[in-house]
Amino acid sequence: MRATVRLFWILSIFSFLLATVYTIWALFFNTELGIATKNGVASVEWVGSIGLALVGLLCALIAFYVGRTRQAQGGFELPEDRLDANIDDGDAEQGFFSPWSWWPLMLGISAGLVFLGLAIGFWICFIGIPFAVVSIVGLIYEYHRGYFAH
Amino acid sequence: MVAVGTIVWLGSEVMFFAGLFAIYFTLRSVSPDLWASQTPHLNVVYAGINTCVLVASSFTCQFGVFAAERLQPRRKSWKISEWGMVEWFFVTYVMGALFVIGQVFEYATLVSEGVRLDSSAYGSAFYLTTGFHALHVTGGLIAFLLVIGRAYAAKNFGHKEASSAIVVSYYWHFVDVVWIGLFAVIYLLK
Repeated sequence: MRATVRLFWILSIFSFLLATVYTIWALFFNTELGIATKNGVASVEWVGSIGLALVGLLCALIAFYVGRTRQAQGGFELPEDRLDANIDDGDAEQGFFSPWSWWPLMLGISAGLVFLGLAIGFWICFIGIPFAVVSIVGLIYEYHRGYFAH
Repeated sequence: MVAVGTIVWLGSEVMFFAGLFAIYFTLRSVSPDLWASQTPHLNVVYAGINTCVLVASSFTCQFGVFAAERLQPRRKSWKISEWGMVEWFFVTYVMGALFVIGQVFEYATLVSEGVRLDSSAYGSAFYLTTGFHALHVTGGLIAFLLVIGRAYAAKNFGHKEASSAIVVSYYWHFVDVVWIGLFAVIYLLK
Protein backbone atom coordinates (compact mmCIF):
# COMPACT_ATOMS: atom_id res chain seq x y z
CA MET A 1 0.00 0.00 0.00
CA ARG A 2 3.02 2.26 0.15
CA ALA A 3 2.54 3.29 -3.47
CA THR A 4 -1.12 4.17 -2.85
CA VAL A 5 -0.24 6.27 0.18
CA ARG A 6 2.47 8.15 -1.72
CA LEU A 7 0.25 8.75 -4.74
CA PHE A 8 -2.44 10.28 -2.57
CA TRP A 9 0.06 12.49 -0.73
CA ILE A 10 1.41 13.69 -4.08
CA LEU A 11 -2.13 14.42 -5.29
CA SER A 12 -2.84 16.26 -2.06
CA ILE A 13 0.24 18.48 -2.29
CA PHE A 14 -0.47 19.11 -5.98
CA SER A 15 -4.04 20.20 -5.22
CA PHE A 16 -3.02 22.54 -2.41
CA LEU A 17 -0.37 24.01 -4.68
CA LEU A 18 -2.93 24.52 -7.44
CA ALA A 19 -5.34 26.12 -4.97
CA THR A 20 -2.65 28.65 -4.08
CA VAL A 21 -1.72 29.30 -7.70
CA TYR A 22 -5.37 29.64 -8.69
CA THR A 23 -6.12 32.08 -5.88
CA ILE A 24 -3.16 34.26 -6.78
CA TRP A 25 -4.06 34.11 -10.46
CA ALA A 26 -7.67 35.13 -9.79
CA LEU A 27 -6.48 37.96 -7.56
CA PHE A 28 -3.79 39.53 -9.70
CA PHE A 29 -3.78 38.23 -13.25
CA ASN A 30 -7.36 37.52 -14.25
CA THR A 31 -9.55 40.20 -15.78
CA GLU A 32 -12.30 38.08 -17.30
CA LEU A 33 -14.04 36.34 -14.42
CA GLY A 34 -17.05 38.45 -13.48
CA ILE A 35 -16.68 37.82 -9.79
CA ALA A 36 -12.98 38.38 -9.76
CA THR A 37 -13.16 41.98 -10.90
CA LYS A 38 -15.84 43.59 -8.83
CA ASN A 39 -15.77 47.38 -9.28
CA GLY A 40 -12.37 47.04 -10.83
CA VAL A 41 -11.02 45.54 -7.58
CA ALA A 42 -9.85 41.99 -7.91
CA SER A 43 -11.22 39.50 -5.39
CA VAL A 44 -10.77 35.81 -4.77
CA GLU A 45 -12.74 33.45 -7.00
CA TRP A 46 -14.09 31.29 -4.19
CA VAL A 47 -15.52 28.29 -6.05
CA GLY A 48 -12.21 27.26 -7.57
CA SER A 49 -10.09 28.08 -4.53
CA ILE A 50 -12.32 26.18 -2.09
CA GLY A 51 -12.84 23.32 -4.51
CA LEU A 52 -9.13 22.81 -5.13
CA ALA A 53 -8.16 23.20 -1.48
CA LEU A 54 -10.74 20.64 -0.39
CA VAL A 55 -9.65 18.20 -3.12
CA GLY A 56 -6.28 18.49 -1.40
CA LEU A 57 -7.95 17.74 1.93
CA LEU A 58 -9.79 14.76 0.43
CA CYS A 59 -6.53 13.26 -0.86
CA ALA A 60 -4.77 13.98 2.45
CA LEU A 61 -7.58 12.25 4.36
CA ILE A 62 -7.32 9.11 2.24
CA ALA A 63 -3.49 9.15 2.24
CA PHE A 64 -3.39 9.57 6.01
CA TYR A 65 -5.93 6.84 6.67
CA VAL A 66 -4.51 4.30 4.24
CA GLY A 67 -1.09 5.01 5.79
CA ARG A 68 -2.51 4.36 9.25
CA THR A 69 -4.14 1.14 8.04
CA ARG A 70 -0.84 0.01 6.55
CA GLN A 71 0.96 0.62 9.84
CA ALA A 72 -1.76 -1.18 11.79
CA GLN A 73 -1.29 -4.20 9.52
CA GLY A 74 2.44 -4.24 10.19
CA GLY A 75 3.47 -2.52 6.96
CA PHE A 76 3.18 -5.53 4.69
CA GLU A 77 2.50 -4.93 0.99
CA LEU A 78 -0.66 -5.98 -0.86
CA PRO A 79 -0.20 -8.47 -3.69
CA GLU A 80 -1.28 -5.68 -6.08
CA ASP A 81 1.91 -3.80 -5.19
CA ARG A 82 4.31 -6.72 -5.65
CA LEU A 83 5.90 -7.55 -8.98
CA ASP A 84 6.33 -11.21 -8.00
CA ALA A 85 2.72 -11.75 -6.86
CA ASN A 86 0.35 -14.24 -8.43
CA ILE A 87 -3.40 -13.80 -8.98
CA ASP A 88 -4.27 -16.26 -6.22
CA ASP A 89 -2.23 -14.32 -3.64
CA GLY A 90 -5.10 -11.85 -3.61
CA ASP A 91 -7.88 -14.33 -2.88
CA ALA A 92 -7.84 -13.91 0.90
CA GLU A 93 -10.98 -12.59 2.56
CA GLN A 94 -11.68 -9.08 1.28
CA GLY A 95 -14.41 -8.24 3.75
CA PHE A 96 -17.80 -9.43 4.80
CA PHE A 97 -20.46 -9.45 2.08
CA SER A 98 -23.82 -11.14 2.02
CA PRO A 99 -24.21 -12.81 -1.36
CA TRP A 100 -27.93 -13.61 -1.07
CA SER A 101 -29.29 -10.62 0.82
CA TRP A 102 -32.32 -8.85 -0.66
CA TRP A 103 -32.06 -5.93 1.77
CA PRO A 104 -29.71 -3.73 -0.28
CA LEU A 105 -32.15 -3.91 -3.20
CA MET A 106 -35.08 -3.15 -0.88
CA LEU A 107 -33.20 -0.24 0.66
CA GLY A 108 -32.29 1.12 -2.76
CA ILE A 109 -35.89 0.97 -3.96
CA SER A 110 -37.13 2.63 -0.74
CA ALA A 111 -34.56 5.42 -1.02
CA GLY A 112 -35.57 5.80 -4.66
CA LEU A 113 -39.22 6.18 -3.61
CA VAL A 114 -38.33 8.80 -1.00
CA PHE A 115 -36.32 10.88 -3.47
CA LEU A 116 -39.02 10.43 -6.12
CA GLY A 117 -41.42 11.87 -3.55
CA LEU A 118 -39.13 14.84 -2.96
CA ALA A 119 -38.96 15.43 -6.70
CA ILE A 120 -42.57 15.08 -7.86
CA GLY A 121 -44.99 14.87 -4.92
CA PHE A 122 -44.37 14.65 -1.23
CA TRP A 123 -47.14 12.07 -0.63
CA ILE A 124 -44.90 9.40 -2.19
CA CYS A 125 -42.46 9.94 0.72
CA PHE A 126 -45.13 8.73 3.13
CA ILE A 127 -45.01 5.41 1.29
CA GLY A 128 -41.25 5.41 0.88
CA ILE A 129 -40.24 6.23 4.46
CA PRO A 130 -41.85 3.15 6.13
CA PHE A 131 -40.23 0.97 3.47
CA ALA A 132 -36.89 2.64 4.14
CA VAL A 133 -37.22 2.09 7.90
CA VAL A 134 -38.02 -1.60 7.48
CA SER A 135 -35.24 -2.05 4.90
CA ILE A 136 -32.50 -0.40 6.92
CA VAL A 137 -33.41 -2.35 10.06
CA GLY A 138 -33.52 -5.50 7.94
CA LEU A 139 -30.11 -4.78 6.45
CA ILE A 140 -28.38 -3.82 9.71
CA TYR A 141 -29.80 -6.69 11.75
CA GLU A 142 -29.76 -9.40 9.07
CA TYR A 143 -26.89 -11.17 10.83
CA HIS A 144 -28.18 -10.61 14.34
CA ARG A 145 -31.38 -12.61 14.31
CA GLY A 146 -32.80 -16.00 13.45
CA TYR A 147 -30.38 -18.55 12.06
CA PHE A 148 -27.46 -16.07 12.00
CA ALA A 149 -27.84 -14.73 15.53
CA HIS A 150 -24.50 -14.58 17.27
CA MET B 1 -12.29 -2.85 4.58
CA VAL B 2 -15.40 -1.20 6.08
CA ALA B 3 -13.22 1.48 7.67
CA VAL B 4 -11.28 2.32 4.51
CA GLY B 5 -14.53 2.42 2.51
CA THR B 6 -16.03 4.79 5.06
CA ILE B 7 -13.03 7.11 4.80
CA VAL B 8 -13.26 7.16 1.00
CA TRP B 9 -16.96 7.96 1.28
CA LEU B 10 -16.18 10.73 3.79
CA GLY B 11 -13.78 12.08 1.17
CA SER B 12 -16.72 12.44 -1.19
CA GLU B 13 -18.63 14.13 1.63
CA VAL B 14 -15.78 16.65 1.89
CA MET B 15 -16.48 17.56 -1.73
CA PHE B 16 -20.23 17.83 -1.04
CA PHE B 17 -19.55 20.39 1.65
CA ALA B 18 -16.96 22.05 -0.61
CA GLY B 19 -19.87 22.86 -2.93
CA LEU B 20 -21.85 24.37 -0.06
CA PHE B 21 -18.89 26.44 1.17
CA ALA B 22 -18.31 27.63 -2.41
CA ILE B 23 -21.98 28.73 -2.67
CA TYR B 24 -21.69 30.62 0.60
CA PHE B 25 -18.44 32.42 -0.20
CA THR B 26 -19.44 33.30 -3.77
CA LEU B 27 -22.75 34.81 -2.66
CA ARG B 28 -20.98 36.70 0.09
CA SER B 29 -18.36 38.10 -2.25
CA VAL B 30 -20.95 39.40 -4.75
CA SER B 31 -23.33 40.93 -2.20
CA PRO B 32 -21.41 42.17 0.86
CA ASP B 33 -24.19 44.69 1.69
CA LEU B 34 -26.67 41.85 2.14
CA TRP B 35 -24.29 40.14 4.56
CA ALA B 36 -23.80 43.39 6.49
CA SER B 37 -27.56 43.74 6.93
CA GLN B 38 -28.41 40.09 7.68
CA THR B 39 -25.61 38.78 9.90
CA PRO B 40 -26.61 40.90 12.97
CA HIS B 41 -29.61 38.54 13.27
CA LEU B 42 -27.25 35.72 14.26
CA ASN B 43 -26.92 34.90 17.95
CA VAL B 44 -23.25 33.96 18.13
CA VAL B 45 -23.23 33.07 21.84
CA TYR B 46 -26.21 30.74 21.46
CA ALA B 47 -24.69 29.04 18.42
CA GLY B 48 -21.36 28.88 20.27
CA ILE B 49 -22.90 26.96 23.17
CA ASN B 50 -24.58 24.66 20.67
CA THR B 51 -21.20 24.13 19.00
CA CYS B 52 -19.63 23.20 22.35
CA VAL B 53 -22.32 20.56 22.86
CA LEU B 54 -21.53 19.01 19.47
CA VAL B 55 -17.76 19.11 20.04
CA ALA B 56 -18.19 17.51 23.47
CA SER B 57 -20.32 14.78 21.87
CA SER B 58 -17.33 13.86 19.72
CA PHE B 59 -15.35 13.14 22.90
CA THR B 60 -18.08 11.00 24.47
CA CYS B 61 -18.35 9.18 21.14
CA GLN B 62 -14.63 8.47 21.23
CA PHE B 63 -14.89 7.05 24.76
CA GLY B 64 -17.62 4.79 23.38
CA VAL B 65 -15.20 3.66 20.68
CA PHE B 66 -12.53 2.89 23.30
CA ALA B 67 -15.10 0.70 25.07
CA ALA B 68 -16.02 -0.98 21.78
CA GLU B 69 -12.34 -1.68 21.13
CA ARG B 70 -12.19 -3.35 24.54
CA LEU B 71 -15.15 -5.38 23.18
CA GLN B 72 -17.20 -4.15 26.11
CA PRO B 73 -20.74 -3.29 24.96
CA ARG B 74 -22.26 -2.52 28.34
CA ARG B 75 -21.25 -1.06 31.70
CA LYS B 76 -19.80 -3.15 34.51
CA SER B 77 -20.94 -0.55 37.01
CA TRP B 78 -22.14 3.06 36.97
CA LYS B 79 -18.55 4.18 37.60
CA ILE B 80 -17.67 6.26 34.56
CA SER B 81 -14.44 4.36 33.86
CA GLU B 82 -16.39 1.12 33.61
CA TRP B 83 -18.99 2.34 31.14
CA GLY B 84 -19.50 0.31 27.99
CA MET B 85 -20.05 1.46 24.44
CA VAL B 86 -23.82 1.62 24.83
CA GLU B 87 -23.75 4.09 27.73
CA TRP B 88 -21.30 6.41 25.99
CA PHE B 89 -23.25 6.28 22.75
CA PHE B 90 -26.49 7.10 24.56
CA VAL B 91 -24.80 10.18 26.04
CA THR B 92 -23.52 11.08 22.57
CA TYR B 93 -26.99 10.60 21.13
CA VAL B 94 -28.55 12.93 23.70
CA MET B 95 -25.92 15.61 23.00
CA GLY B 96 -26.36 15.30 19.24
CA ALA B 97 -30.13 15.53 19.69
CA LEU B 98 -29.67 18.63 21.88
CA PHE B 99 -27.64 20.18 19.07
CA VAL B 100 -30.39 19.56 16.52
CA ILE B 101 -33.09 20.84 18.92
CA GLY B 102 -30.97 23.93 19.55
CA GLN B 103 -30.75 24.50 15.83
CA VAL B 104 -34.51 24.12 15.40
CA PHE B 105 -35.05 26.89 17.96
CA GLU B 106 -32.40 29.00 16.25
CA TYR B 107 -34.15 28.58 12.90
CA ALA B 108 -37.50 29.49 14.48
CA THR B 109 -36.01 32.69 15.93
CA LEU B 110 -34.37 33.62 12.62
CA VAL B 111 -37.56 32.99 10.63
CA SER B 112 -39.51 35.17 13.06
CA GLU B 113 -36.95 37.91 12.39
CA GLY B 114 -37.46 37.57 8.65
CA VAL B 115 -34.43 35.48 7.65
CA ARG B 116 -36.02 32.74 5.55
CA LEU B 117 -34.86 30.28 2.92
CA ASP B 118 -36.60 32.40 0.28
CA SER B 119 -36.07 35.85 1.83
CA SER B 120 -32.69 36.58 0.26
CA ALA B 121 -29.47 35.03 -1.00
CA TYR B 122 -28.20 35.21 2.58
CA GLY B 123 -31.13 33.15 3.88
CA SER B 124 -30.63 30.58 1.12
CA ALA B 125 -26.91 30.27 1.81
CA PHE B 126 -27.42 30.08 5.58
CA TYR B 127 -30.17 27.47 5.56
CA LEU B 128 -28.59 25.37 2.80
CA THR B 129 -25.24 25.05 4.56
CA THR B 130 -26.48 24.64 8.14
CA GLY B 131 -29.54 22.64 7.04
CA PHE B 132 -27.56 20.05 5.11
CA HIS B 133 -25.24 19.78 8.10
CA ALA B 134 -28.21 19.27 10.43
CA LEU B 135 -29.47 16.52 8.11
CA HIS B 136 -26.07 14.85 8.43
CA VAL B 137 -26.23 15.08 12.22
CA THR B 138 -29.71 13.54 12.15
CA GLY B 139 -28.42 10.73 9.96
CA GLY B 140 -25.62 10.19 12.48
CA LEU B 141 -28.18 9.98 15.30
CA ILE B 142 -30.04 7.24 13.42
CA ALA B 143 -26.73 5.44 12.88
CA PHE B 144 -26.02 5.61 16.63
CA LEU B 145 -29.39 4.03 17.39
CA LEU B 146 -28.69 1.21 14.91
CA VAL B 147 -25.24 0.56 16.39
CA ILE B 148 -26.61 0.61 19.95
CA GLY B 149 -29.30 -1.83 18.80
CA ARG B 150 -26.60 -4.09 17.38
CA ALA B 151 -24.82 -4.12 20.74
CA TYR B 152 -28.04 -5.34 22.38
CA ALA B 153 -28.82 -7.82 19.58
CA ALA B 154 -25.40 -9.49 19.64
CA LYS B 155 -24.97 -12.33 22.08
CA ASN B 156 -21.22 -12.03 21.63
CA PHE B 157 -20.03 -8.50 21.01
CA GLY B 158 -17.22 -9.10 18.55
CA HIS B 159 -15.01 -7.24 16.09
CA LYS B 160 -17.85 -6.90 13.58
CA GLU B 161 -19.94 -4.94 16.07
CA ALA B 162 -16.88 -2.96 17.15
CA SER B 163 -16.00 -1.99 13.58
CA SER B 164 -19.52 -0.68 12.92
CA ALA B 165 -19.19 1.45 16.06
CA ILE B 166 -15.80 2.71 14.87
CA VAL B 167 -17.01 3.74 11.41
CA VAL B 168 -20.01 5.56 12.88
CA SER B 169 -17.56 7.44 15.10
CA TYR B 170 -15.51 8.40 12.00
CA TYR B 171 -18.65 9.83 10.48
CA TRP B 172 -19.54 11.65 13.69
CA HIS B 173 -16.10 13.24 14.01
CA PHE B 174 -16.29 14.27 10.36
CA VAL B 175 -19.67 15.94 10.86
CA ASP B 176 -18.27 17.66 13.96
CA VAL B 177 -15.24 19.02 12.09
CA VAL B 178 -17.47 20.26 9.26
CA TRP B 179 -19.58 22.10 11.82
CA ILE B 180 -16.50 23.77 13.31
CA GLY B 181 -15.70 24.98 9.78
CA LEU B 182 -19.25 26.16 9.20
CA PHE B 183 -19.39 27.88 12.59
CA ALA B 184 -16.15 29.71 11.93
CA VAL B 185 -17.28 30.81 8.47
CA ILE B 186 -20.89 31.74 9.24
CA TYR B 187 -20.76 33.03 12.81
CA LEU B 188 -17.20 34.25 13.37
CA LEU B 189 -16.21 35.60 9.94
CA LYS B 190 -19.78 36.78 9.19
